[in-house]
Parts: sequence; C-alpha cells; structure tokens
Amino acid sequence: MKLALDLGESLQIALSAIRANKARGALTTLGIIIGIVAVVLTMTAVNGLQNRFRESFSSVGTDVIYVSRMPWVVMNDFFLYRNRPNLELREALALEHNLRGRALVNPSLDTRRDVKYRAETMSGVTIIGTTEKQTRMSSAQPQSGRFLMPFDIQYRKNVCVIGTEIRNGVFGTSDPINKSLRIGRTTFRVIGVMEKQGGSFLDGPNFDRQVTIPISSFVKSFGGDHGHQDVNVAVKAPSQESMKDLEFEVIGQMRQIRKLRPTQPDNFSINKLDTLVGTFNNVMGVVLLVGLLVTSISLFVGAIGVMNIMFVSVTERTREIGIRKAIGAKRHSILFQFLFESSAICLLGGTIGIVLACLLTAVINAVLMPASVSVPILILAVVVSIAVGVFAGVAPAYRGATLDPIEALRYE
Amino acid sequence: MLPSSSESNLSLRDVVKSYAMGTETVHALNGVSLDIVKNEYVAIMGPSGSGKSTLMNIIGCLDVPTSGSYTLEGVPVAKMTESQLAEIRNRRIGFVFQTFNLLPRANIFHNVELPMVYGGVPRAERRARAERALETVGLADRMKHKPNQLSGGQRQRVAIARALVFNPSIILADEPTGNLDTKTGDGIMAMLDDLHAAGQTIILVTHEEYIAEHAKRTVRLRDGLIESDVATMRDACPLILAQAV
Repeated sequence: MKLALDLGESLQIALSAIRANKARGALTTLGIIIGIVAVVLTMTAVNGLQNRFRESFSSVGTDVIYVSRMPWVVMNDFFLYRNRPNLELREALALEHNLRGRALVNPSLDTRRDVKYRAETMSGVTIIGTTEKQTRMSSAQPQSGRFLMPFDIQYRKNVCVIGTEIRNGVFGTSDPINKSLRIGRTTFRVIGVMEKQGGSFLDGPNFDRQVTIPISSFVKSFGGDHGHQDVNVAVKAPSQESMKDLEFEVIGQMRQIRKLRPTQPDNFSINKLDTLVGTFNNVMGVVLLVGLLVTSISLFVGAIGVMNIMFVSVTERTREIGIRKAIGAKRHSILFQFLFESSAICLLGGTIGIVLACLLTAVINAVLMPASVSVPILILAVVVSIAVGVFAGVAPAYRGATLDPIEALRYE
Repeated sequence: MLPSSSESNLSLRDVVKSYAMGTETVHALNGVSLDIVKNEYVAIMGPSGSGKSTLMNIIGCLDVPTSGSYTLEGVPVAKMTESQLAEIRNRRIGFVFQTFNLLPRANIFHNVELPMVYGGVPRAERRARAERALETVGLADRMKHKPNQLSGGQRQRVAIARALVFNPSIILADEPTGNLDTKTGDGIMAMLDDLHAAGQTIILVTHEEYIAEHAKRTVRLRDGLIESDVATMRDACPLILAQAV
C-alpha cells in the first residue's frame, strides 16, 4: 500500500520533471528513440526475410527428398564435392525402377535459355525438363491450360508450361495457350500457365520465371543424357512419417546403383526442404544476433545519454532532495523518484521509437519485402526501454538517494 | 535546570559532535545537555561557529551525535538508522527554514501535502489535512499557486503549514525571519506566538535579539557549550524591575 503510494507519487514527480525540461528531455529521448527503432527494425527485417523465404518455398513439399550431385547448402569445403560424377538420367531411371510402388520418383534437368515470342524476348530463363509427376511433388498447379501428361513425355512433344512472370513478360495480356514459344532454337507450344508461386528469395530459384517441358523433349533439344548434365531427382515419400526410412532407402539404392564399396563415401547428396529451412533459420539466427548486437550499441549510447542527464538532474535538484529528506523522504523514495524519471524518459523514447518503427515497417512492406511488427517484438521493445531506463537511472538515483540531507539543504 | 527530565519532551545528555577536518578533529558540540518540555518556546542563540547549527541539526534528527544521548518524546534517537530518522523527521519535527525551502515546481497544496505523501497518508486524508493547515495560516485560497507567485511572507506561511500537517512534537524554526523585512517578519513571529499559545513546542534558532524575545527561554551557545540558559528578557524584565522597586 505504502509502496504503491510511493510509486504513484514518483510517477507524477517524474512526469513533471520531464515536462520542466522539455528540450533537454527531447534530446535525451532521441537517443533512446534511435536505439529502439534500430532494434525493432532489425527484428522486423529478420522476421520479414523469414516470411519471404517461407513464401518463396511454400509450394515445395516437405515430404520430398531431392537427390543431386551437390548439397543445396555447401557448408564444408566445396572441393569435397567437385569431383563427384553427375547424376545421370540412367541412374535416375534405375532409382525409379528400384523404388517402384514405394515412392514416387521424378527426374528433372534444367538449363538456361532465352525464350522468345514474336518481338518479346526474355533471356536466361530457367528451362526445366521433367515429367507429369512434377505436380505431385509440389503443390503448384496450372492456373490455366494443363500440365504435362504422360504422352507428352512418351512422344517427346514440344510443349511447354510457363510461369506467371514468363506469361507477363513475353505474352503480356494476350492468352498464351497454344501460342508458339521459341526456346533456344526450338519452338514449343504453350499448353498451360502455372499459378503464381511467390517469386524469388535472395537470388534463389524463382518458380515463376520457369518454363517446364517434357524431359524427353529436353534431352532431344538441349542434350543432358549420358551424364553430360546433372539430373535432379525428386523422391516423394508416401507419408511425412516415412521420410526418415525413405532417406536411408534412397541412399542405399543410390549406392547400389553407383556400385559404391562400403568404405567409399556417398558421391551424391540428399537434400530436403527441412535442411534448407534449418540452415536458413540458423543463418537468420546469427544475422539476428549480430544485428541486435550492433543495434544495441546504439541503444547503449542512448542509455549513456540518459544516465548523463540523470546525473545532471540529480545535481541540479540537490536542494530539492535535501528538502524532501528533511520532511521525511527515505532513501528508497528518492531512489524510486529518479528511477521513475529515467524509466519514464526511456519509455517515452521507446514508445515514439515503436511508432516510428511501425511507420518504417509499413514503408519496407510496401517497397522491399513482406514485413510486419509482431506483438512479441513490441512487448520486448517496451520491456527493453524500461530496462534501459532502470539501467541508466540506477547510478544517478543512488547518488541522489545517499546524499547527506544537511549538505543537500546547504547546496546553492 | 528548570524542567525535570521526567516530563521533558526533548532531552539531550552530554551531546558531543565532532568532525574530522583534514587531520584535525573539530568539536562542534562539546557536551551539551538540554531539556525542553512540552509547549516550551525556546530560542537558541549564539555567534557563528558556536555550534547552534549543529545543535539544530541534531535536534531536527538530520544528524546524530558522535556521543551522548538524545531522547525525543521518550524515544532514543541517537543510535537510529537513517530510515528511522527519516520517519522521526516526517512525523515529529516540523521544519521552518530561513530560505523557506519549498519545492519550486510544485504548487502550494502539493508542498504542504508532501510530508503526508512520505508518511503514507491516503489521498483523501492528505487533502483534508493540507487544506486545514493552509486555513490555519490563511492561505487556503492560494492552493493552486506556485511558490514563485507568492510573497516571501506567504511562502514562509506555507512552510509553517507544511511543518504543521502532522502535528509535530516540535516546530524547529531556523532564522524564520532572516529573509523577510521587519514587518513581514513580525507577522511570521506572531503566527509562531499563536502556535505556541495553542500548545505547540517551538524551538527558534536566531541571532536577532528582538526575535529571540518572542521566546520564553533563551539558550546561548559559545564554542560548542551552553553559555547561558535563562528565561527571556521580556518576561524577566518585570521581575528584575519588581525586585529593583
């Protein structure tokens, strides 16, 4: 009860003290505002990157294993993987044969070519040669027309399914279905347009800027068999739970196909979205940590500013402290009074900082990437600003609280 | 010594206060014994350096003696912690300073209310008591004013109101008229006289003889010792005159 009375009183005193020195308070608060904006934006940016990442891979199934020559994320020495043989189409077909009835296997080849329709050209478009099973590996479906069918692959049809960016870039507003698209030196008939899949993430694969053709037509037009080009093999597990078993199975089958002796290491890589997500999250964790470390320096500088001003405030009000002590203020009352003042300055700065950060986030959201300030970040920001206030106020408040009342009353 | 210590309100015994000044030790008080009973009106006088400020600080519980004992309303104060001293100051002592010592940014009401804030008095009661105290000093209509909107005499009356809110054991007035012109000072002294008449114990620290004359008893200090402790002239004069006649 008595403490609560003290708290309320201290808060009033703190607010009136800040009001009394508006310019000084504003400048001091600025340090905290900058610090809080920096911290909140760092967290928001990392959050935004994660959202963007999730969005761009949202169509990729988490129950699919990808077999390829290289791991997606090269963590160790690149030279360990350099001499690995390409994954051949023949090997992919053997794997498909061996896993028949247990898992769905879909090989794919890719290259980059210019695509052209009349006068419109897009250069460096990713051309994927694959099978009709692609639609079962990923959740992406055609938004108009159709996807590849078994007979397209069987009869090496020169047909293609295009991504939304290709349609917009080459065909504009006209309907692309049954139009002829030149890919390299071959003409393909457009049979479908894929739905939008969320664009690219930091130069990663952009599923909307792809042209998908039958793998047989791919080999016919761009080569890629006989180990000249690396094949990617997607293996879909019958269920999420069987992923681990399937992974061992695939490794075993691949070793068998490649006739590896037990002492030889795998010369192929197993990739999963989980590993990619895990790696990404680890990287983002480090980015967040480093970001917070750097931005908290600015917050720390702000805190030093507050501490400095609080020392000035205590010195200026030495006589006031003396009066308060003479009429019965105890040490903790004075301590609370100044702690409240510094916390109030920091909370004020923190609140303004949060508002600014929210505005900046809206700007980032509009021009850069999907970002939003989440409630936990806001709560954290408020807690941090109060904590900074207490941190910055402790030393000055302690000095004020321990002043000798006689000396303080005599102070001019 | 006139009053017996059994009925005394305040009792100092062999109080010594010494300070270390570099290598030397300075004795500001050199063994002071003093008893003040309820409703006494005492003036403490002495030249600067006589120890009267130190004595006032000890009586006001702003400081503790180096040795000796100090009992206030039967409570031994000499060995109290700072927190306990703050409580005593809060409840038992009413300070009136030469420079008024009001909080400049707070309004009159808040200044008067402040001791009760530290004393943990609920808001409604604080309001009632502060208003009553301000009525006593005739400033109830100035509650929302800041100290700098008042004259010196009015400020000192606010300080008196603040000293009175807790019905203290003693009012300790340190040169209460020092910053006021004679006429205003007389008004303040009249107010203290009235408080004494109403039953308050008042200790007046001053170096002005005509101010000290308001008190019924004058304690003179010199070099940290009590030089004289007599009934005040104004009261003594008729006695002396009567004897002369």
